Order: sequence, then C-alpha cells, then structure tokens
Amino acid sequence: MGAFTRRNAIVVLFSVEIMLNAANLNFIAFWRYSDNPELLHGPMFTLFAIAVAAAEVAVGLALVIAVYRHFKTVDLESINTLRE
Amino acid sequence: MNEEISFWILSAIAVLGALVAVRKRNLIHGVFALLVFFAGLSGLFLLLLAEFIAAVQVLVYIGAVGVLLLFAIMLTERVAGDDDRRMISRGWSWGLLAAAAVFVVLLLRPIQQLPSQDAAQPIKPSVEALGHKLINPYVVTLEVLALLLTAALIGAVTAAQGLRMPKEEDSPE
Amino acid sequence: MSFELLIDILIATVPLMLIFATVFAFTTWLERKALARIQNRIGPNKVGIPCTRIGLFGLGQPTADGIKMIFKENIVPTGADRLFHLLAPILALIPSMLVLCFLPLDFPWLNENSVKAFLLDGAVIFFFAITGLNTLAVFMAGWASRNKYSLLGGMRAVAQMISYEIPLVLSAVIVVMMVGSLDAAEIAGEQKGGNWFVFYPWGFAAFVIFFIAALAETNRSPFDLPEAESEIIAGYFTEYSGFKFALFFLAEYIAMFAISGLAVTLFLGGGDGPGLAVLPWLSVIWFLAKIFALIAVMIWLRGTLPRLRVDQLMGFAWKFMLPLSILNIFVAGFAWHAKQLDSQFIMVITWVISLAVLYGAASGLNQLNRGKVRPREYKYAE
Repeated sequence: MGAFTRRNAIVVLFSVEIMLNAANLNFIAFWRYSDNPELLHGPMFTLFAIAVAAAEVAVGLALVIAVYRHFKTVDLESINTLRE
Repeated sequence: MNEEISFWILSAIAVLGALVAVRKRNLIHGVFALLVFFAGLSGLFLLLLAEFIAAVQVLVYIGAVGVLLLFAIMLTERVAGDDDRRMISRGWSWGLLAAAAVFVVLLLRPIQQLPSQDAAQPIKPSVEALGHKLINPYVVTLEVLALLLTAALIGAVTAAQGLRMPKEEDSPE
Repeated sequence: MSFELLIDILIATVPLMLIFATVFAFTTWLERKALARIQNRIGPNKVGIPCTRIGLFGLGQPTADGIKMIFKENIVPTGADRLFHLLAPILALIPSMLVLCFLPLDFPWLNENSVKAFLLDGAVIFFFAITGLNTLAVFMAGWASRNKYSLLGGMRAVAQMISYEIPLVLSAVIVVMMVGSLDAAEIAGEQKGGNWFVFYPWGFAAFVIFFIAALAETNRSPFDLPEAESEIIAGYFTEYSGFKFALFFLAEYIAMFAISGLAVTLFLGGGDGPGLAVLPWLSVIWFLAKIFALIAVMIWLRGTLPRLRVDQLMGFAWKFMLPLSILNIFVAGFAWHAKQLDSQFIMVITWVISLAVLYGAASGLNQLNRGKVRPREYKYAE
C-alpha cells in the first residue's frame, strides 16, 4: 500500500522491504509445514533473498541520494523532468 | 499453546510495526517502526525453527539496512526528520486500488483451495545442515551472490558519489 | 504457559542479571580506583559505612552514586523527541543484557533437565546480531536529544561501531572455522585442558584483533571518540541525566562484560582452569575471573593511552585490522589443513610459517600506513 500511495522515495523503499519480508515469511512458513523440511529449500531461498535485498537497499539508497543531489528533493512527484 | 500465544504476539508486533512504518510522518520514527517489524519477523522465524534465518534477519536487516536507511535520511532530509509537507501522493486512490487488487488476486487462489492444516513434522534445527547445503549444491549460487554484492557495493558508491564537481564539497563517506 | 517452564526460565536468567549488575557496581569502583592510582591520586575513599568514619577504601561509592543518580532530576531538552529520548537508554540496555544469555556459564544449580537460557545452535552469530543493536540505541540517543554535539557523537559512534564490527566478526570466524560449530558451549568444550586457542599463532593474532575491536565496539578509550569530552562534550549522552544516564552507564559496562565473556569463550578456554576435576562449579569462577582480567586490561589501557583522531580511527580499522584479519583466516585455514596431516614436524613448520606471515603482514601494514599519516589539516579553524 505504501509503495503506491506515498510520495517520499525512502518510504516507498520501506514498503518494498516490507513486501520482500512478507514473501520471506511465506517461504519459511511453507517450508516448515511442507512434506520434507529436511531439504531446506525454504531457508536457502530466504537466505539468498535476504542477501539480494540487502544489495537492493544499498543501491536503492544510493540512487535516492544521487537523485537528491540532482533535484534537491526526494519527493517522487517533483521528479518529473522526463515528462516536461 | 505457548507457541500459539507467541505467534499472535509476534504477528501483532510485526503488523503494527509495518503499519506505523508506512503511516508515520516522521521518517526517523518510521525507520524505527520498520525495525520493530523486522524484529517481529525475526521472532516468527525463530518460532518456525529457522534460527539461522532469524539471526541473519537481525544481522542484515536491523543491523545493516536500518543503519543504512538512517544514514540516507540524514543525508537527504532535514535532520529533524519532520515532514510537514503533503505526504500522500496525488494519485493515491489509484494506488490504493492497485494495492487492493493485488491483495485480492493473491488471496484468491489460497482461499479456493485452503489446505487442511496438517501438523508440522518435528525437525531438529541445524545450522550445520544449512552450511553443508550452502557449500555442496548451492555453491555456484553463493559465488554469484558474492559477485552481485560486490557489484552492488561498487555501484552504490559510484551512484551516491556522483560526478565530482570541482567546486563541490567532499562527497559523504 | 506452564508454571514449571516459567520457574525454569527465571532460574536461568535472574542470576545472570543479579551477578552482572553487582559486578558492575564493583567494576565502577575498581575503575575509579585504578585510574586514580595511574594518575597518582587516591580515588574514592570516603564513602563507607554511614555515620561512621570507616572508609572501607571507598567501597560504598557505587551505592552512593546509585542513590544520587536515582534522585537526580530527569531533564529532557526542549525540542527533543521525548519518546525516543526515553527509549534510547532502554534499547541500549536490552541487547547487552540479552547477549549475556549466550555465554556458556555453567551454574551449578542448572542441571541437564533445566532450561538453559539459550541453547541455540548458532549462539555466536546471535551474539553478533544482537550486539549490533547497540548502534541503533546510540544513534537514537544522539538524534533524540536534538543537540548537534549529541548528533555528532551518535554519528561518530555508528560509523565506528560498523567499521570495527567487521574485524571483530572476522576474528571470531577463525575460531568457528577451527571448531566447526557456532555453539558457544561446544567452542568452550573444545579448549578443555589448557588447549586454549590463544596459544596458537592464528589464535593469538585473532585474539588481539578481537580485543582491539571489542574496545572500539564498546566505546572504550582509546576509541572513545563518540564521547570525547574535549571535542563534543559527552557525545550522545550529553543531554542525559539522572536515571537514564545511569542506564546508559550500566548498558556500557554490561556490554563490556558480554564482549569480554565472548573473548573468553572464543580464545581463553571458557570456564577452563585448574581444579575443575575436583570442584566442577569452579568453572563459573574461572570464567568470571577471566572476564575480570580482561576488564582490568581495559581499565589499564584507558589510564595510559591517549585518544585517537577520527581519521586515524577509521584508517586503523579499514587499512590495518581488516587486511590482517582476512590474512589471518587464510593462515588459520592453512594451519587446519596441516593439523589433519598429524605430524609433529609439520606442526612446527606451520607454527613458524604462520608466525612469520602474521608478523610480516602486521609490520608491513604498519609501514604502509605510517607513510600516509600527516599532521591534521585544519579546514575551518586557522
């Protein structure tokens, strides 16, 4: 919900993180109640997902900072150079 | 019984944390609420006997991502973190609609075929097994991941540094 | 929740808190006394038994301090974030306390059936994960005070803690690698009978790195830049007074105990020591004694070393500790493979080679870094 309705780029990033975490929770939960949990598919996938998410946050925030230097704002609606 | 109580408490913490994180006007408060959400999730992972994932969740999300977010906010927003401008975007109704639509679509399938709740098989949580898995079948993935993280690191630094103007101040660390 | 479980949990956790809180009071007295002796003073010597002239070497000082702290006014600056100002000391205390549960302290009243506070497979990784939370508490305190010096101190602390966490974890990884387990009790068990890891070349290097990084992680001098009173008043707890300040103080000392405890577990053999075969409960005493020895070294360093500069601090972490600890991992891997061969001659060779490599690397890095250290350039104040 936050990803669609908020204007601040950082808050949008929060929301993306929340969604990713929800997916991770599903992986773990379905792994726990699956037929053969000793295969460890769920934790393995979650582990990789967390690592990729960490990379994603780093790059995302770097982009936010770059955008901020350029436009002096992180308001997503003010950044509309392409439209004009 | 114990597990059930813990589950409800932890889920409540996580959901509240997430809601506050998205709704809060003050960004720093938002980050800390987000961290509460991560902590709640970590507790849920522990409850599901995925203790290594729980540790990684605390280490990566609360330890690293939280600090990263705080630094980014410090570098962009005013230090006080109060945001008295309009915070909801113009097309919020469309956004809400889209979010609701995604939610319904995602929920549609599971509701149609709700699985009978079968008991979880007893397993012994083991970090060792995870480690062996990581080295034996998944070693290529691990290496690719390491490469990706390095690339992300370099990319993030270059993106955040930007083009160095001669008269500009030094870029942040 | 069953009643017996609750009782078991209380039996496992309450002694930890009581012991370490008492020890904390004693440590503050010890620190003041030791610092005073180093600086050629007497230190606290007045407070003893009330209404008499008996001083007891000032042993009553912690109690008096505690009473003073509790009765002091709680001041919150105008414009500060009241909620976070209140939460920060609590958030600082909780992780430090929580982490104590992961130390392999075998209390005699804990038998096989009772709940150990935490018997996790990955105790060591949990330890590091939870100590990482201290960073956030410090930042929260610095930010919530709405004082630029506090914020500066908070930011300094965050940068320093993150930088030094890497060598800290990398040196712990070596022990985990050699034992093949993340379980603290198993790591301590591996070192039974004087087979402490600090007696190996790689173990010694890792221990030194770990200890330096631990000093930085707990904001002890010479790494106490976040609270450098000559530069930024008291850093992140400038605006704290009364009981909240006491909580910060307590958290800092408990964190010191916890990280010394981990150093003892990883490198100094846990509760290992003479006389264990006769009296098994001595292991707790040994463990605490080793923690105290490390704390004494910390106090000694505080009394003798001057504070570092910010650029020196960061340079030391990234240009000296990090390469050395990564190299040390390679040395340890080499030693591990040599150990599999099980030959006395190869053992000796391994020792010599690892010592030579580590010493060469340390002095080489020292030389490399020394050339770059320039006198401070004053940018704004000339």
